[in-house]
Amino acid sequence: MSATTLSVPVYASELAARPGVMDVEHDMLATLRPMGRAGRLWIASLLAICVMAFVAWLYQIANGLRVTDMRNYVSWGAYMTNFVFFIGISHAGTLISAILRVTDAGWRRPITRMAEAITVIALLVGASMVVIDMGRPDRVLNLIFHGRFQSPILWDLVSITTYITGSVLYLYVAMIPDMPILAQAARAAGRSPRLVRLYEALSLGFRETPEHRRRLARALGAMAVIIIPVAVSVHTVVSWIFGMTIRPGWHSTIFGPYFVIGAIFSGTAAIITAMALFRRAYHLERYLRAEHFHKLAKILLTLSLLYAYFTLSEYLTAWYGGVAADSRLLHLLAGNTSFGMAFWLWAAFGLFVPIALLLFPTRRSLASIVAASVLINIGMWVKRYLIIVPTLQTTYLPASAAGVTPHYLPSVVELTITAGAFAAFLLLFTLFSRFFPILSIWETAEDEAEVGVRKSSPVQAHYGRALAALAVTLMAGALTSFVPVRAARAQPPVHAGASAPVGSTNLRIAIRRSNEQGQDMLVGTITAQGRPVAGVTVAFSVNRAFGNMTLGTDQTLSDGSAAIPFPQGLPGNAAGQLRIHATIQAPAEVAGLSVEAMIPGGAPLHAVTGLEPRALWSTRTPLALVVTIGGLLLCVWSTFAFVAGQLVAMSHIQPEE
Amino acid sequence: MRVFRMQDGADTAPYWLPRPCFHCDDPPCARVCPVGATFKRDDGIVLIDNERCIGCRFCMAACPYSVRTFNWSTPNDPAAATVRGYSPEWGYPRRVGTTEKCDFCPDMAREGKLPHCSSACPMGAIWFGDENEDAVTNSHGETLRLSKLLRDRAAYRQLEELGTKPRVYYLPPDNRHYPGPGEAATTPGNQTSAVVQR
Ligand code: SF4
Ligand code: SF4
Repeated sequence: MSATTLSVPVYASELAARPGVMDVEHDMLATLRPMGRAGRLWIASLLAICVMAFVAWLYQIANGLRVTDMRNYVSWGAYMTNFVFFIGISHAGTLISAILRVTDAGWRRPITRMAEAITVIALLVGASMVVIDMGRPDRVLNLIFHGRFQSPILWDLVSITTYITGSVLYLYVAMIPDMPILAQAARAAGRSPRLVRLYEALSLGFRETPEHRRRLARALGAMAVIIIPVAVSVHTVVSWIFGMTIRPGWHSTIFGPYFVIGAIFSGTAAIITAMALFRRAYHLERYLRAEHFHKLAKILLTLSLLYAYFTLSEYLTAWYGGVAADSRLLHLLAGNTSFGMAFWLWAAFGLFVPIALLLFPTRRSLASIVAASVLINIGMWVKRYLIIVPTLQTTYLPASAAGVTPHYLPSVVELTITAGAFAAFLLLFTLFSRFFPILSIWETAEDEAEVGVRKSSPVQAHYGRALAALAVTLMAGALTSFVPVRAARAQPPVHAGASAPVGSTNLRIAIRRSNEQGQDMLVGTITAQGRPVAGVTVAFSVNRAFGNMTLGTDQTLSDGSAAIPFPQGLPGNAAGQLRIHATIQAPAEVAGLSVEAMIPGGAPLHAVTGLEPRALWSTRTPLALVVTIGGLLLCVWSTFAFVAGQLVAMSHIQPEE
Repeated sequence: MRVFRMQDGADTAPYWLPRPCFHCDDPPCARVCPVGATFKRDDGIVLIDNERCIGCRFCMAACPYSVRTFNWSTPNDPAAATVRGYSPEWGYPRRVGTTEKCDFCPDMAREGKLPHCSSACPMGAIWFGDENEDAVTNSHGETLRLSKLLRDRAAYRQLEELGTKPRVYYLPPDNRHYPGPGEAATTPGNQTSAVVQR
């Protein structure tokens, strides 16, 4: 049997003619057959943990976040750790599978499906963690109605939504050729007609024709290219939730790449772990071969060295520089504290031991590769925890000075929900594998048949076009008005009111501004029945919002006038007037008598200073940000649309002849 | 408002640091709020709308002064505090799952009254005023020209280097005397603050 005849995907009608392929199909569908006792127990216990976690969440909603151990200083904890962890795991998938697809690494074939499924499921679990962490999950839609694009949370929202959409599409497109096989197998196995119809509908009428192949190749090619920048952007903006604040340990320029590398690192470890589990549970040794583990192990080794390098860069510079806040953080993180213990345990067992296990080819048995992966997965959860919590305990103004010692340890509720997240991940993964083949049948069949001759696959040929389409759409778009604009909720600033001067008794006090011998003076003149009164102490003050500000005191001369220098540059009302009071302080019989007058000469009040309607802190988004985010989204979503278009076209292909 | 007992270096004198919200001119908390629940008004006051807040606590992580607090459980409001309905200007009724902080009592300012922290300070150490008027007032009814006060007393701001442009100024201790009136000898001396509202 020549390689060329088998390099095309298998599909239902051809299966019977190909005994070798029948084997593949039989093995691939292993996960779909009814489960044994162990399997049912597995599902039941995962389900039980999920239910418990759900109850814990209801309890948390009823009682508020007080049931967690988060408090005012450490205001993020296990949930955020889970969020970063699962979003990290999600990179496994898509990134590894897309990179391997784009570079046409033939050995990827049995791995891609699993990787892509991990992505979708981890994203769903990770995104739900944010909602669980929210104080008001009931208001989650405010993110859409009142979203501000200056907030990294909005960047996360759009990029994760895009990523979920993209990875579902990617997973699905790569699964289409398997659907006719599934439909046939389900029919043969007497499964419910509904399921059969579902598979048939999902197959979009895929058949082995050049036209179907062409459309599929285009769709898959475009998806594999576009999903890479989307995946990178997702973990970058996740890191920016921390990086955009100005806290020690978070405000770091390398946080984006550090998180992306960390994500691919933990994601690759997750794939290896999943591969080992499925291989064991369904006896897929023939497809998930030692070769696959070894190749992934090399990737994992590279990533672990990279991660070690990033970690060193991050902390060594902070330690050497020795800025006070950084030093306090590092003391907490790596000193003689409980965090320090966790940190060094992580460095030993989450980084160095795995590196050692992966480094020496002689010791690189499957068992040690899998052990390294499991250690890395556990370690990366701990590492994310160590990124989040110690920084929150490191305040600029020492909390301990206020008699508070910030501390945090996940509460029972948080631990239950965390366990639930892991259970939900495993459960969804198991369920996925119950309904869809966990290894790509058509690609694995290619793999089985391949003798290393396929060089330019049709999929390959379309990357150029996909990239060109991308570039065109990128240039096409400038969105200007998609950001919700809300009128600034401006309240008028507090101003002093105005009132007229009033005299009383037979004493009259007149206030004026006058230029005496070249000096700008504030003059009060006191008269009794028209005659000036000397020797009266007069205090001048100016009215301010919360009290009268004394300007000076003087005694009246024989002409009845008391004078002080006019206050220069003092802000007045909008017209530049000052409300001046002149109050008699002595002699005692008339003390307390007072008049006020509006005197010009103050600096006009500029009511609003420096209002920047599109500042980072304002309600409206800076235009550059709108254009950037809008352009990127347009570019990605139009590629999705292109892929969807290919699928629609595929479903409309008429049977030949 | 929390009062910290500070000591900047091993050999420097300790002092008290009352810490309100600094109503930063470039507030990091308002930058990161995803829904605009934290916002800066035209008069510079930074407020929280607890009817919009989603409780993500990003603002708490972003505030370098750790000023913000969170309603971890349903708050126990005195009945009298809730009668006039909600406004971000007074923050009552408070709501579970939302953040809060010192708000400079803009509802008091509307009536021409000093905020509670200032009017309640028996030492007259907390001055408050409208920066546009260039004046601050304390609980003793003294009103001083702000620009002169800041200059003459060498006022400074907290964590100036972070670029948040806080609008609360601190006056270095002046006339420290030990022991203070009716205090033990170990108590740090008085510290005067000018709390400034623009
Ligand atoms: S002190 Fe903190 S809460 Fe107050 S405005 Fe500044 S950043 Fe916001
Ligand atoms: S907790 Fe509320 S006020 Fe703070 S950032 Fe989130 S939504 Fe805004």
